[in-house]
Amino acid sequence: MKYRRRLFSAKSPYDTNGTEELFLRAVRENCLFHYTNCPEYRKLLDGLGFGEREIVSDSLPLSEYLARLPFIPTLLFKRRRMFSVPRHRMFVKATSSGTSGRFSEIGFDAGGLLCGLKMVLRLGRQRGLFSLRPCRYIVTGYQPHRGNRTAVTKTAFGATLFTPCISRKYVLKYANGKYSPDFDGTVEAVVRYSKKRAPVRFMGFPAYMYFLMREMERRGVSVRLPKGSKIMLGGGWKQFYAEQADKDAFYRLAEKVLGVSDKDVVEFYGAVEHPIMYTDCPNHRFHIPVYSRVLIRDCDTLEPLPPGETGLVNLITPMICATPILSVMTDDLGVLRDGAECGCGIRSPYLEIIGRVAPDSIKTCAAGASEILSESISALKGADQP
Amino acid sequence: MIIANGKIYRSEEQDRILAAAAHNIDRTLAERSLDAETVIAAIDRLGSEIARGVFDERINELPVDEPMRYKAMAAEMLSREFLEYKLAVELGGSEPENAPENAAFTRIMPLGVIFHIAAGNMDGLPAFSLAEGLLTGNINILKLPRADNGLSVEIIAKLIEYEPRLADFIYVFDTPSSDVHAMKKMAALADGIAVWGGDGAVSAVRALAPVGTRLIEWGHKLSFAYISGYEDKERELTELAAHIAATKQLLCSSCQVIYLDTDDESELEGFCAEFLPILEREIARRKPVSIGGRAHSSLLRYTDMLEDILGEKPLPKHFGGKGCSLTIGADSELELSDMMCNVLVKKLPRRGIVPVLRRGKNYLQTAGLICPESERAELADIFARCGVTRVTSAGAMSDYFAGEGHDGDYPLRRYTRVVNTSFDWRR
Repeated sequence: MKYRRRLFSAKSPYDTNGTEELFLRAVRENCLFHYTNCPEYRKLLDGLGFGEREIVSDSLPLSEYLARLPFIPTLLFKRRRMFSVPRHRMFVKATSSGTSGRFSEIGFDAGGLLCGLKMVLRLGRQRGLFSLRPCRYIVTGYQPHRGNRTAVTKTAFGATLFTPCISRKYVLKYANGKYSPDFDGTVEAVVRYSKKRAPVRFMGFPAYMYFLMREMERRGVSVRLPKGSKIMLGGGWKQFYAEQADKDAFYRLAEKVLGVSDKDVVEFYGAVEHPIMYTDCPNHRFHIPVYSRVLIRDCDTLEPLPPGETGLVNLITPMICATPILSVMTDDLGVLRDGAECGCGIRSPYLEIIGRVAPDSIKTCAAGASEILSESISALKGADQP
Repeated sequence: MIIANGKIYRSEEQDRILAAAAHNIDRTLAERSLDAETVIAAIDRLGSEIARGVFDERINELPVDEPMRYKAMAAEMLSREFLEYKLAVELGGSEPENAPENAAFTRIMPLGVIFHIAAGNMDGLPAFSLAEGLLTGNINILKLPRADNGLSVEIIAKLIEYEPRLADFIYVFDTPSSDVHAMKKMAALADGIAVWGGDGAVSAVRALAPVGTRLIEWGHKLSFAYISGYEDKERELTELAAHIAATKQLLCSSCQVIYLDTDDESELEGFCAEFLPILEREIARRKPVSIGGRAHSSLLRYTDMLEDILGEKPLPKHFGGKGCSLTIGADSELELSDMMCNVLVKKLPRRGIVPVLRRGKNYLQTAGLICPESERAELADIFARCGVTRVTSAGAMSDYFAGEGHDGDYPLRRYTRVVNTSFDWRR
């Protein structure tokens, strides 16, 4: 996996132009590995007319190669397990949250995790997430527990390692076999921490963070957190999905009740099926890092679309050997935009998530688009194990 | 936006308005009541304004086919004739003669305060739910669905403008369902909660409602077409296709499964080959499906294809057309299709109807029939006994018929209560 190693050692994490050839080599290397070691993957590729000859062919430039490379929908990972290394060689297994009861199980190999670590260091440094100043962490998500293998829990925990950590407090506490939210205790902690000198960092689901801040507003509690405090968000906006008005309201609320400005709100995008730490820029846009490429595919034909057009988001990374997640198709709808349009200085294109695939993005009847309501209520009453 | 006491406020003022609502509601209950005539006159006027085209601009924005048909339906449902008929059918019980000496004096009274949690799948539904609450004299708290395009607020504000006496009986909030505290507050104010939505929404509301609050659940239902012979095949199939294309299978009354009265698999294939072009033709006449809907269908198709390559799951026989598909189901169960004109076709011989439908009894709504006239009564009877609450011709599954109930109930009865006053009859 020498090309993978070289790709993840790249010096500038957003130099997508300068890493095209390297990325292509890493993709071919990764694809051949899965083709050789994962019988299901081989069957799929053969069935789609992308055999060994096509995999190793170097006649196509990167964009055309990726357009032709078969992609696997996250839905398929939810329906069946596929692995390219024996289970005992997998370092970590993680699952998606699986709101509808079905979840993917993705294995991670040691080499892939090492790449991931380099990536996190590089991207985190770029966004100023690392500091030697000890912080207090409030995780607006799940307390880690042996029975909880969701990737969001793992990443949320991981994020508390960005600085030395004085304490960790979890909004969703695990006790007696189930998770229950502790908003009272959390609000209390926020007030207490605001009087101390160490910065406070929040990490977790935007929806819970929003609840927490609404709760503070409702109780008339507002504090000014110590300088250097940050709000880090990951795990999906759910009902706030990319609606700018909602995000602006979120930033305003953060300023009002916590005294954290929007520059200190950092958002992550990623999926267990594409474990690349997409980190927003100071303008809150997701530029593509060198470790990943994105194709936007037509909603009818599934063929790649030019920049600026809306379609299904296809994410590609050669990071992982344990599971064939080289090219995955998400349930997200998005647009790719020219990096220069952002104005933050990063040149690589950025991905805008528009919404989620649904029978109809705004209206469904029989399908019941009300999961969010029940989710948030169970959040207040005591959430079940995900 | 929020409407309270006849004024429009910004969403940010929600907490303040909710805090004052209990007091305002108490005052309204103590001092005022709302008679049906006042409400009918105002709603009737609204109906004629809609018919006159006052709201055309907004209605044309709606992502529906044939917005003008929509408008005609709304105007009809808001007309005096329709409302009076509805009141008479739903609440006008006949007094039996020869009442016993100790018969109670009975009045039908409003429930009090109704909290409406409206679904987003049908435009205009929030306003209609509110109209039903007003018609029965209730104070109404309406939570708009996220997808509301502002039409509801506009219409309701107009209604209050026509009849200012309605102002104290209408509260409209655009609270997101995730704002549990606000939802709980609204629930605590209410005597009854009318919830429109899926299992998730309904069970969430059950968890939210204080014990003793009347729950009026308009949950998601499933509907199907049943074909057992034709009278005019071309016309009947075209009407069914038009229904599917127009509702995109998103309504509770939309056809999810087409059942054929047969045991013979090959008949299903013959039907699909014949019906697919008819469905394609009807779809081509209408607005294209939204991008999210198309992406959803494409993803499912593609994933199924991959499953097929992996070869473990026998792929259901699939007839793909432009903007639609027909899939032959392996069993006879009533289930939700992929929607957006992706219809399931299954066999269901007549003798098998009862067990199959009983398994889906909590979700049954409309059966759309295609059969010779001579067999209608018998089939309608079987369906009704299984728990189906509407039987129509297949093309009319989502049409509205004057005086019809809703999911087996008369809504106005659910929005009212019986009050007895009995004094000293023994003396």
